[in-house]
Amino acid sequence: MTPVHAAAQDPVAVIEGLRVEIGGRLVLDGVGLSLRPGRITALTGGSGSGKTTVGLALLGEYPDGSRVTGTVRVPQGLIGYVPQHPAAVLNPARRIGALLRDIARGRVRHLPRSRRRAAARERVLDALDRVRLPADGRLLRRFPHQLSGGQQQRVALAQVLLLGARVVVADEPTTGQDPLTKRGVVDLLADVARQGIAVLLLSHDTGVVRALADEVVVLRDGRVRDAGPAAASGRAPLGGAGRGDAVLDVRSLVARHGRTPVLDRVSLTVGAGECLAVAGRSGSGKTTLARCLSGLHPRHAGEVRLVGQPLPPGLRDRSRSQVAGVQHVFQDAKAAFDEYRPVADQVARTAVRLRGAAPAVARREALALLSALGLPAEKAARLPAHLSGGELQRAALARAALARPRVLVCDEITSGLDPVARDAVLGLLGGLLRSGRVEALVLITHDLGTAALADRIAVMEDGRVVESGAAGRVLGAPEHAFTRELVVAEETFGVPGD
Amino acid sequence: MAVAVARSRRGLKRIVVGRPGGAARGRGARRFAPGLLVVGVPLLIALAGPLFAGDAGPRGTSLTTGAGHPLGTDFTGRDVFREVLLGGRSVVTVALAATALTYAVALPVGFVCALTRRAWLEEVLMRPLDVLLAVPSLLVVLLVATAVQPGPARLATVVALVGIPDAARIVRAAGAEAASRPAVEALRMQGEGWVRLALGYVGRAVARPLAADIGVRLTGAVYLVATAAFLGVGVAPDAADWAVMVDRNRTGLSVQPWATVVPALLIVALTMGGNLLVDAALARPHRPEKNR
Amino acid sequence: MSATGHRVARRLLLGGAQTAAVVLLVFAATEALPGDAAVALAGDQPDPARIEAVRAAMHLDRPPLERLLVWTAGLLHGDLGVSLTSGRPVAAALADGFGPTLLLAVPTVLLLVPAGIGLGVLAARREGGAVDRVVSAVLLSLYAVPEFALGALLVTVFALRLGWFPPTAVGYGTELASHPAALVLPVLALLARPVCSLARLVRAGMLDSLASPYVAQARRCGLSRTRVRYAHALPNALAPAAQQLARTVDWLLCGVVVVEALFVVPGLGTVLMNAVAERDLPTVQGLAVVFGLVTVLLNLGADLVTHRLAPRTEVAA
Repeated sequence: MTPVHAAAQDPVAVIEGLRVEIGGRLVLDGVGLSLRPGRITALTGGSGSGKTTVGLALLGEYPDGSRVTGTVRVPQGLIGYVPQHPAAVLNPARRIGALLRDIARGRVRHLPRSRRRAAARERVLDALDRVRLPADGRLLRRFPHQLSGGQQQRVALAQVLLLGARVVVADEPTTGQDPLTKRGVVDLLADVARQGIAVLLLSHDTGVVRALADEVVVLRDGRVRDAGPAAASGRAPLGGAGRGDAVLDVRSLVARHGRTPVLDRVSLTVGAGECLAVAGRSGSGKTTLARCLSGLHPRHAGEVRLVGQPLPPGLRDRSRSQVAGVQHVFQDAKAAFDEYRPVADQVARTAVRLRGAAPAVARREALALLSALGLPAEKAARLPAHLSGGELQRAALARAALARPRVLVCDEITSGLDPVARDAVLGLLGGLLRSGRVEALVLITHDLGTAALADRIAVMEDGRVVESGAAGRVLGAPEHAFTRELVVAEETFGVPGD
Repeated sequence: MAVAVARSRRGLKRIVVGRPGGAARGRGARRFAPGLLVVGVPLLIALAGPLFAGDAGPRGTSLTTGAGHPLGTDFTGRDVFREVLLGGRSVVTVALAATALTYAVALPVGFVCALTRRAWLEEVLMRPLDVLLAVPSLLVVLLVATAVQPGPARLATVVALVGIPDAARIVRAAGAEAASRPAVEALRMQGEGWVRLALGYVGRAVARPLAADIGVRLTGAVYLVATAAFLGVGVAPDAADWAVMVDRNRTGLSVQPWATVVPALLIVALTMGGNLLVDAALARPHRPEKNR
Repeated sequence: MSATGHRVARRLLLGGAQTAAVVLLVFAATEALPGDAAVALAGDQPDPARIEAVRAAMHLDRPPLERLLVWTAGLLHGDLGVSLTSGRPVAAALADGFGPTLLLAVPTVLLLVPAGIGLGVLAARREGGAVDRVVSAVLLSLYAVPEFALGALLVTVFALRLGWFPPTAVGYGTELASHPAALVLPVLALLARPVCSLARLVRAGMLDSLASPYVAQARRCGLSRTRVRYAHALPNALAPAAQQLARTVDWLLCGVVVVEALFVVPGLGTVLMNAVAERDLPTVQGLAVVFGLVTVLLNLGADLVTHRLAPRTEVAA
């Protein structure tokens, strides 16, 4: 037994019997885990499972008004923290150089005063190099908002490296990212671990966990469930192979935001009974495309035809049946509901306004559809604040489906949900399509795993559709270089459901 | 939060946490109590005082204390107590009228700007107001006072005008924020009409911030009306008005302080209490949790 | 840099428009006079000779547009017209009042920023603590109180009861500068409102900033409490405060008029109030233009400072 090996196996941080209670509600109960140098421990679980509370406990931070018992042992010195939104932890009023030097200065106090400045600068440049950022002055003079999201994430990691932290907590670092960005973050975290740092990865992204974690701890309702990677729940494909005749036909759509072009001659068709996924990175124009179809982005050129009839570009120029014909489901379900009215009332309005149903009839229909989607009447009678994100997204589906739309446009509707809620919503979506309540689906997503469930995929880059075809073919034998890049990045994590 | 830190032998920090952290803050209707208490006295005197003032007695000697006058006499020998009872009504009513008038204009203008999709309409309505914001408010009041001798109605109009640019901007900002939420787009996807969007959703969403702003504006109007009266604008030189009393009686401050101090205190209490009330209304009942 | 340049140009353009608006508004005040403006302005002694003098002094026999052009052209040369009551050039009257007003304004502005920021930071150091509660209560209470009422109470207590300071500036005339004690109460009355509003904003900004994720991250990175507070939280707290500073300019101008009236300081405010009382329109117009310009300039400055403190706003704009 060599001492070096023994030291490597000794945990640097240990949590034992951690119990956190906020206002009588048990958030964590008897949670324990240990972190070892150079190893990545993943803590997974749905939203509300208490992951973040555990992560912050390592940092010595607890929610306001919480009652905490248990033991948290951490090494002397500081613990690094990599947040979900790096932009939020970088001070908007300070330049990158100042942000990094602040930390470096604390690490060179042992040197004589005259050498501190140069030593601090050396450390900053070294840290930038280690997170693969250009170590030149230009970057250091910039403000955080002038960097891309990926660069901000790297700066946040550079801070952690400068700290010389032996333990790093990474809180959902890949949530809502496209495969390429996700890939970059995963590589960075693997690098960090290789430098002998213990990493606690909080994530509900099973692909990322599988790619990175040496050890997995599953948390549910504040308790540790069996360790080992969370089983990927089986997901059924959406749609049932198109029947041919086009429901939606888009020809050379061009749109801009102010002076910046966002969509460049986009053409696509969606057939009856078909589900089309539009995939791409953020900023590729996917969401604008969805909004053009729904009439929410009226300033566009080109043609959108619904069963052969041209659709006016803006909602206000569309007839009621045309508005009902193309319905939209929004990414942020919570923000898409009026906070002051019960959910069921809001859902029922669709039938009243778009199909001329009597209020009582509309209400009955709404409640029936809501309960078919898993929202019983007593839940639907509540205000939106009392429903979870997944439940609200189901209500939003019901609200749109009540219009009996020919095309349902879903804009990243699962990206804010944990895997369980996401699979449930995707399952319901398939049900709506197969039962004929919705004639065709357009699914906007950055997640290839979700796109894989569609009949066909259109891949977008810089406002253009670079490749489209049957889902199996596009993911199995991508033709365009960009699609290949996306698929390779995603394969690191293994497409769930395969 | 109580955190006990002990070093264990292996150089690890051992943290044991026991007591609950954070403290519940005063909330509910109780936080309005201080404001109501402070504003209550001057407001009651201003509104109900004239009912109890009674007839003007014979004039006495100027600026004396005692002698049948509980607060002495003023610079023209009138009973200060009676003047105090009469002197709040003008400040309060003019300020109320001015605030109502401000919002009667600012509300539709701001709302139309927030909800219109026609950029030129917003420019036409808001740009002139932006420009007006640069003119010091008391200056406008004084400028008008030079040109026309204003009575209470005109003073209310001028004070209202001064408040419009700022109020319209706040209405527009609150309305535009509410109108840009996905909920509005969702309502539009349901085929809801403009009226239901504007009044049913946006109107409701902005009601709370605007109620608070009305409070802010009301204290501002009280300030401006009282200051104008002190400077002799919009009131007769011997009017029964708290601000005029401060101005006119301060020459005798060393012999008869009550004639100046009592109305000054009432104005201080009126503005102070109003401000405390607005602040209590603005205070969020509880802070959002920092951690999930 | 071009974005900043663009922004400065737009702000300057707005400043120009605001100046023009002040000039127009001031001019419009003459037009608003009912009936014969000369008769109206002649006031209490409407003898024909005086009416004629007013008419001549203000060129009331000419068409309004021509008068506007002549008056504006005069403004550009620094010629603000001639007083109706004294017959002296308005610019000379303003020059007389300038000194005493400056004596009030300079100490006020010098004290305003450090006092406002200092009190705000002091209150924010421990939210809900005893210091915070006392400071916050005082700030909140004084913030809407009119200067004249506060000033009258200050005089009663500190001048008449305690006898620490003279109650007014009467008798000091042009020697005001050599009697700083006479300036203490006026400056205090003038400072109260702007200091309170500034300090409240700094406090709120500090609390927001101290509760922000970037400050939490700075703490996790082991930065000292002082450094987190002053190098990380304070710059973010100052941006809204700088914007408010522009608005307090408006209050200071109002306050100067009131405080000069209350303490009998022969400054610009007194010149203005005398002109208003005597309906000396050219003097009021001249002062209004000067005050308006000062406001526009200071607004411009505050806007640029805000932009420096909160660089992110350029993206939003």
